Formats: sequence, structure tokens, C-alpha cells
Amino acid sequence: SWIQSGQARNAIIVSRRQQGNPVLKHIRNVRWVFGDIVPDYLLGQTTCALYLSLRYHLLHPDYLYFRIRELQKSFRLRVVLCHIDVEDVIKPLHEVTKTALLHDCSLLCAWSLEECGRYLETVKMYENKPADNIQERTDNDYLSRLTGALTSVRHVNRTDVVTLGSTFGTLAAIMGASMEELARCPGIGERKVKRLYDAFHEPFRRTT
Amino acid sequence: MLGFHEQMVSELVEADGVTVLAAGLGLTKVLASLLRLHVQEKSDELVLLLSTSDEQRQALREELQDQDATAALPLEINNEYTSLERMQCYAKGGVFFITSRILIVDMLNERVPLSKVAGVVVNNAHRLSESCAEAFIVRLFRHANKVGFVRAFSDKPQAMVSGFSKTERVMKSLFVKRLYLWPRFHLSVSHALEEAPPEVVDIRMPLTSAMAGIQNAIIEVMDACLKELRKTNKVDVEDLTVDNGLFKSFDEIVRRQLDPMWHTVGWKTKQLVGDLKTLRKLSEYLLRYDAVTFLKYLDTLRASEGVRSVWIFANPTHKIFELTKRRVYQLIRTDGTRIGQGKITQSGRGRGNPKWKSSKKIHETDRGVELEVVVEEMPKWKVLREVLEEIEEERQGLKPEGSQNAWGEGGAAVLVACKDDRMCLQLQDVLARGPQKLMQDEWTKYLLSKAELHGMRTRNKRKPAGYRGVSVTGRGGSRVPWEGEGNQSWVQSEQRQEQDAIMAAAAEVASLDREVINVGEDISHTRGLRARGRGRGRSKARDATTQAGPKKGRGAVRGRGISCAKEDTLTSSGKCNIEVTESVIENQDNLNVGINNPNPQVPDMDGLMNANGDMGLEEEQRKNKPIPPVHFYALESEQRILEVVRPVYVVVYDPDMSFVREMEVYKSENPGRHLKVYFLFYEDSTEGRKFEASIRRENSAFENLIRQKASMMIPVDQDGRMLDATPPKQSATGVNLNAVTRKAGGRKQVEKQMQVVVDMREFGSSLPCVLHQQGIKILPVTLEVGDYILSPDICVERKSIADLFSSFSSGRLYHQAETMSRYYRLPVLLIEFSQDKSFSFQSANDVGDEIAPSNIVSKLSLLVLHFPRLRIVWSRSLHATADIFVTLKANQDEPDLDRAMRVGVPTEDGLIEGDLRAENYNTSAIELLRRLPGVTDANYRSLMDECKSLAEVALLPAERLAEVMGGKQPARMLRDFLDAKCPILA
Repeated sequence: SWIQSGQARNAIIVSRRQQGNPVLKHIRNVRWVFGDIVPDYLLGQTTCALYLSLRYHLLHPDYLYFRIRELQKSFRLRVVLCHIDVEDVIKPLHEVTKTALLHDCSLLCAWSLEECGRYLETVKMYENKPADNIQERTDNDYLSRLTGALTSVRHVNRTDVVTLGSTFGTLAAIMGASMEELARCPGIGERKVKRLYDAFHEPFRRTT
Repeated sequence: MLGFHEQMVSELVEADGVTVLAAGLGLTKVLASLLRLHVQEKSDELVLLLSTSDEQRQALREELQDQDATAALPLEINNEYTSLERMQCYAKGGVFFITSRILIVDMLNERVPLSKVAGVVVNNAHRLSESCAEAFIVRLFRHANKVGFVRAFSDKPQAMVSGFSKTERVMKSLFVKRLYLWPRFHLSVSHALEEAPPEVVDIRMPLTSAMAGIQNAIIEVMDACLKELRKTNKVDVEDLTVDNGLFKSFDEIVRRQLDPMWHTVGWKTKQLVGDLKTLRKLSEYLLRYDAVTFLKYLDTLRASEGVRSVWIFANPTHKIFELTKRRVYQLIRTDGTRIGQGKITQSGRGRGNPKWKSSKKIHETDRGVELEVVVEEMPKWKVLREVLEEIEEERQGLKPEGSQNAWGEGGAAVLVACKDDRMCLQLQDVLARGPQKLMQDEWTKYLLSKAELHGMRTRNKRKPAGYRGVSVTGRGGSRVPWEGEGNQSWVQSEQRQEQDAIMAAAAEVASLDREVINVGEDISHTRGLRARGRGRGRSKARDATTQAGPKKGRGAVRGRGISCAKEDTLTSSGKCNIEVTESVIENQDNLNVGINNPNPQVPDMDGLMNANGDMGLEEEQRKNKPIPPVHFYALESEQRILEVVRPVYVVVYDPDMSFVREMEVYKSENPGRHLKVYFLFYEDSTEGRKFEASIRRENSAFENLIRQKASMMIPVDQDGRMLDATPPKQSATGVNLNAVTRKAGGRKQVEKQMQVVVDMREFGSSLPCVLHQQGIKILPVTLEVGDYILSPDICVERKSIADLFSSFSSGRLYHQAETMSRYYRLPVLLIEFSQDKSFSFQSANDVGDEIAPSNIVSKLSLLVLHFPRLRIVWSRSLHATADIFVTLKANQDEPDLDRAMRVGVPTEDGLIEGDLRAENYNTSAIELLRRLPGVTDANYRSLMDECKSLAEVALLPAERLAEVMGGKQPARMLRDFLDAKCPILA
């Protein structure tokens, strides 16, 4: 169909219902065109979004439900983009959350038109992006790995890591250090000493 | 026990309440005698003591024994007990110290016979809130038991007035109606303490001019940072003063104001708040750390502070760095003129500070710069020595008149109280070896680490063409290369010169370092021997000694501060140790001379003579004026040191309000004993200011509490003893939860209690408590997947905002979303904002012009794209979450407990755990292990099977690792990382 045509593939298709929505002004990193579609925004072949302002929801509490029902089951990802534009959010947000959740939509909240626009852009832009950015990453330089490891002990910070590293030389030496040696490091107080020492010496499994 | 202690106990026994007393007034004593009432009864009733720290429990046990040697000690229930053993304990009755998380779980699982609980005692009441674990416990207890008592304590009045009507809320959540206040200015307290006060000597000394300069510069930078912070218009200006900035509570003041919008404040504001904290620490360390250590700390800071740091680029900061260096060394031109402006005049006190000027140029460079080592001593060291000498004179003078017994057992003990263990060790060194030697050692160590770093850098660099590096062959035969100067065309900057001069000195020292290092190790070794019995071994040692004999033995083991052993009571092995140390010192004398001497091969006779002569003379002087044996005490360790050591002289090296009170109480309890207290203060320093302000702050907190108490409105049934106390059935936030009625079509349903399966680890959060308040039954178990299971289909992973950010960057959230999607039809990510913080991630301005991968919007977008089935719940607060849970559960079946527990647990090794999985694992060790290179999901379990602890992993050779980890490559990665030399950034 025309959606698959080259011109439209890299653009967000916007429903004519959205005409006049100020959010459109904030879609700048991705092209968008009007089209005749059921959802408000078409963000990929199987990804769509509905836009909902909480203020509007307060006036028309059933609107969201009917819009979702129209979508039917033809999308893999159905986003409800909720613009938090009222002060007293608890009640309306409760209702929106319930509706979205019970009708298989992913709810995204944004607090400004800019943020709304950014969500639409990003979901479109990241359509085929692998998840590397949110998967476990390994920074390969020594110090960030050391920092990454040692800061898993509570309250140990970057400065402490440098102190420990420069005092003991190697990670193996840090792990083998006595309480007293740890206590001699500037900036590492009694609690931290105990936490570090326990992390290194207490057995992994406390009971057998 | 003093009169007012007994009053405290009796008023609490009469009517439940919260007792707030001034710091150091003897909370432990009151708690102990209160608990003793129940220990004596010998019934099978339970008394539960909650919310106590390790130190407090230890002190309490000792106090109990002191009050009544025959008393049975309370049992400590922690993760070492299985649930079955715990149930047996509960059945037997008695007084228990118990971890709140364990107790909640046991209460919810109906393992605690609540009707048999005589009462609950809650310590550290200032930490409570409506939805914390302790409040949850008291509520469960009060619900089932209308007679038992609830008594609570706090000795942090400042914390009891922070936040809006905090005390009232604490009382409400504890179901108590009375508030008892015991400030230091309470009449019966001040009468009791001022009847026979200790003799006090106040010694004030000036800072050295360099220290004063640094302190002023720090305050100047702080002021600059505060001004910047004011410009952001986000914080109340009134609180932003340097005086406030010196206190830890300053962070709290600022954070409380910024928290509601923390995610919307710019990086600069955040940076400023962080910088102020760094500066506050720096001002503290200036007075605590010696000149070289302070320099080292600054070096580390400079290396680790990010480029965004504001303070590091502020103008006066330069002065901080400059003066800090000046306290240690100076650069002079070969013609004798100093480099750099600001001359540092030595403080005028006493003999002045030693200077070691090398007799020859340390390093001849064409630029003619050499290093003059200054190494300034801490002014308090000398005064401490003098005070101790004075004490010894007085002791000797008094001895003949009164027999030993006049002092009580152990003679006239002398106690030096300072901030922490590190200080104890250092002061001990200062007294045993003399400040100069100590400082020289520190300096040598400093140079060695520089040399090592430099060596490493040069090694890492590729040799440039025309390299003609000078290398010095050490006696050990190893080469310590350092960068030659001929290979680069450089700017003749002072910095460069300085760098070179240090490197030159470092290279010299490095060439001598083999022995020095050996010697150094010897020292720390002997020290280690002497300091045995600290820390972990403590409780065991105590058991042994209590059998062996009364107080004397105990004191030696328990006094965590190390007692400087030179007494007649010393064992022969102890003497041996000291001899070793002294011979070591002699050795070092020679070495140090060598250090000052640029050319060890051709000893400069003059230099040797001079140095030796000087040192000898001083040594002599020191020997002429003996000092008494000294007990050192680290204030941080919170021991009952006065009762143990029973000192006659106390030198307070670091002034501390709470310790002052402890001494007052101790003196009043022993009116016949002599007690003389020396306070050492730096004049015009942040230290004095802080001490005085801490007293002012406590007093005004009490005044505030007294006012609050007068106007408190307390409902008659606040104690919850009225008969009908069913929880109100309504939503937590007032939203309409009409789902149930809609389904039933108005027909009255059979009331069936809703159930939620909750992961054990979630009991650190308040949500389970709030859910319970909503009348939901909580089933605590250990979950491998998810935090809350609402129904067979719905699994919820809860993330606070901080958690959300951190688990996005660690990749944990991705993993969790993956497993939830695998096992549940409706996986839910709950993003929970905090009620008193902002409900948003970023302001419109922070959204930026372009799609940034690091932005939370990008990450959430990526998450929904990859997990289209994942539902996201945005919750304004805990209470909103509770309502959403209730709504989601409508029309759903109750969760299946057994299935929830089995989900995601690897079955091949039968890892279906009993409860308390989190308690049974050293979670931070496992987390650390999993972050090491080469360690993967596949092999970390076998590493844990093979080694008991991380320390053991670190010792495993590569071959063995390869076997355990199932491959040479990961093993090598791990081994290499463990052994990699840490690059020193300074």
C-alpha cells in the first residue's frame, strides 16, 4: 500500500485528527506526513501511538477506551502517549493506567510538548535499533571496570576506588587487604572498611 | 545508673512512650535496665528489641553484664537462624535483638506467637516513618495484642525535628501517646552532672599559617560555590551560609529543598551540591590528616573529580593545592631563591617545624631547581606530647601518697580520644617514634608511589627516538627507569620543573626503596600483631575472657582503640615487639639520611653526622621526659570505653559533644574518682566552630520539641488498645476502586482477602506495609523473577527513579524485562516516583534538540520497542501504587505461591531455596564477582562453589581458574584483571 512506498517509510504518518496538535511542532528530527490512518501516529510497520492529554481525559473519560478499541489487534506495539498537563494527576492517571494496561497498550508519560515530540521521534528513529544501549555494557578501560566492580559495594565511590587502587596496586591485593590496611586509606571510614572487608571475606553463601 | 536514668525507666514503665534524650546521656544504661526487668522475670514472654546497630547491641550486652553479671544475655536473631530455629526461640521466650526484615516476614508467616509478646522496644526512633518496617511490625503487633507495651528511644533530637511534625508522626506510627524529653539542660540531669564535674583543661593552639591559608581558601571556595548555588534560584537563600556548609546536615537542608525537583535541576546545580560536600570533607581532613596524607588525598581528588567539577577550577582552589604542597616541600633554585610567591612562614610555636634540606642538590638539572623537603607536623602532635609529659609528671608526683588503689585497678589510666582508628594508629606512631620520623616515612612512601607511577608511565610509553633515559639501578638489582629530559623540547614551566624535581627525588628514593619497603612491612607487621583483637574477633575474644576473669582481661581485648603497650603488665612477647620496632627505627635513621643524600654511593659525611646528631639529641630529650602508657579510643567505634579503661586522665584530641556527656555521666557515677580532661582545640578553626554549633543545634532542637509537645493533639485511641481496630476499607489515595462492584453487579460478594506475593528483598521498601494497610494479605517469599506477583498472570518489577536510572545503565532492567516476559503473560514495569520529589524526569529545557542515546526517553523508547508486551505503570507515590495494585487484581485469580517461587529458579541444581535467600547470600560480593571480566552468567556459580569468598578467588592460579570457569580465555581475563597494576592517576 502507499504506507510502504519509499517516500513514507522513513516518516511518521500522522492522522488528520492530530491537525493543530502543538506536539507536531516538536517533531523535528524525523519527517512526518499526514495520512489516513486509524491510530494518531504510525511509528513503524507494526508500531502505532495514541496521544492523550490528561486534561482532555478529565473532560472525556471514555475517549481513550474507544480509541484503543478502534485499533483492533493489528499492531505489535501500541503506545499510549500520555501528556501530563494537569497538577492533580493521581485520579486521571489511575484511570488511564488501568485502561492502557487492560487493553494491551504500553503507557509512556511525558511532561511537556517537547518530551511528547521526542518520544514520537525516538520510537520512530529506533524502529530497527538493537537494544545495545540498554543492555549490559562493558567499558573496557581498566579503571572503569575496577570502578564498576568495587562500587557494587555500597557507598564506595570513584575517589575511594582510586585511593584503593593506588594504595594496594592490584585488585587482588585490595581483596587480600586487612581491615587495618583498608582503614589506613584516607577517606575510607569505618563503615566502608567493614563493608569492603565483608564483601571480600564473608562467604558467598552464608549457610551451607 | 544515676537518678535521672532511673526516672527515665520508671516513667516509661508507667506509660508507653517515646523517650528523646540528649546525645551521650547514657541511652545504653537506660535500655539495659529496662530490658533487665524482663530478663529477671524468667517467664516465657517475648521482648523484641528493634532497630539497633551492631555497636549499640555490643555496648548493650556489656552494660547488661555490668549491671548484673548473672543476667542472661539477649539472643541475637539474624540470618544465621533458620525459620525453624527461630520458631523454637520464639516459643522459649526471652529478650531478642532481631532484624526487622526477618521479624516482619516471620510475623506475616504467622511464626511469632504475638499474644505471648510482652512488648516491643524500638531504638533510634528518629529513623522511623509511617511506612517503615518497624511501624509495620508495631502495627501487626498491636493488631494482635492489645496489652503489650511499645517503648521507643532516640538520642538524636535534631533528627526528631527534621521535617513536618516528625515527632507526632513517629508517635502515631508507634501507637504511643507520650513523649518524654531529657535534654542536657533538664533540671535533674544538670543537677546530677554538675555536682562533681571533672577537672577541665582547655588548650587552644593556632593552626600553622599554611593550614590557616588552606582553611581560608576552602571557605572562600565554598562561599563561591554557595553564591553560584544561590544564582540557580532553586534553594532558599537563608540556609546557604558557610557556617551551615560545615555540617553534614547541610546536604540534607539542600537536598530536602531540591528533591521535589531533583530530576529537573541542571547538572551544574547538582555538581555544586556535590562540590560543597567534597569541600566540607576537605576542611575536616585538613585538621585530621597529616600534611603528606592530605597532599595525597588532594592528588587523588584531582584525578577522580570530573571535568565538570566547579570547585577544582575556582580561583582560590589553586591556593589550596599550592599551600598543601608547601606544607610538604618547596622548590628552590640552585642559587637559593625560592620559586613561587607566597613564602610560608613557619608557625612560631616551640621548636618550629623541622626542615631537611638536602646537603647536595637532589637532582642537577640544567634549570637548576631542587627540592627542599619541609614536611610540616600537625600542631596538635607536639601539644599532645607535652600534655602527656605533664600528665606523667603529675602521676609520678601523686603516686607515693596514695597507693595504687586510689586510682582504682590498673593505676591512673590515660585515654586519648580521637575521631577514628586511623588517627589512633597514627597518634600511636607519633608518640612511639616521634613525629619527624613518621613524616619522613610518609614522605618516602609518597615519593615511592610517585616513582612507581612514573616508571609505569614510561614503560607504557613507546620509547621515543633519541631516548637517553637515566636509570638508576637499585640494590635489589631492578631498574627503575624514569623519563630522561633530553628527548623532548618542552616549555620551561614551573610545573614541569616541579614535576621533574619530584621525579628526581622519587627516583633517588626508589633506588633505596628495597630495604625501606622491607622495613616498612616489618613495621606494619608488628603493628598488626599488637593490634590484634580488634574488629571481627572481638565478640569471640570477649566470651573467652569473661570466663577467664573479670574486668581487667576484658578491657585489654575490648578497647578497640589500641593500647600502647609499654606497661609493666606487658608480656614478654610484647616487649619483644617493641624491640623489633625500635631496631627498625634505627635502621631507618640511616636510610633517611641516605634519602636526603642525593648520592648514596658516596656518603656525604657532614650530612650523616648532622642528621644523626640532631636525631640523637632529640631522641635523648624525649627519653628524658617519659610519657605514661596511653589507651587510644576511636570515637567512631562507639564503645563503652570509659567503663572499660576507667581513665583518670582523658585527652580529647577531637572534640565531640556526645563524648563530653559520656565523661560527665561517668564522673557523676564515680564521684570519688579523679577525672581530668584536656581538650585540644585549634584556634579559629572549623573544628571549634562545629563543636559549639553542635551544642547549640541540639539545644534548639529540644526547645522545638518542648514547644511541639505542648501543642500536640493526640487522639484517645492512638495507642490502638481499643477493641475494634480493623483497617479502614478504602483506597489509599481516594480514587474510586469500583471494579469489584461492577463485576458483581451490585450483589454483595463474599469478603475474601486479596493476596500478593512479595519478594523478600522488597521489605526494604515501604510498599508491602502500605499494601497491608489496604487490607491485602502479604505472602513473603524469595522470588527469582519480579518483585510482586499480583495474580497468576501479573508480575511486577518495581523501580524507584534512582533504581530505574541505574538499572537501565547496568543492563539489569533489560534482563529483568526479558525474564518477566518469558514467564508471565502480563509483565509490568512499575515506575514509582516519590511523593515528596518531582513527578517528572526532566524539564522541557532539558529535552534538548537532538535524540541523545543517554536520555531516559531514548532508553524507555528502546525498552518498549523490544518488549511490546511489557506494561508500564507510572505511579505518583507508594499509595497510588497500592491503589493500582488493587485495581489490577480485580477480576484476576489470586497468585499461586508455589509457582511464583519456582519461576525462573534454575532447576538443574535443585536451587529451590527455602526463604530468606537474600539473607543467605553475600549479595554485594556476588554482584562484585559478576562484574569482573571473564565472569559470566554461565560460570559465576561454579566460582562460588569453588571458592568461599572473593579473597579466595583472588588467590586462585590461572590454571585452576580455567578448570573452574570452563575455559582458558575467561580465566586469563579474570586473572589478568586481578593482577593488573592499577594506573595511578595523580
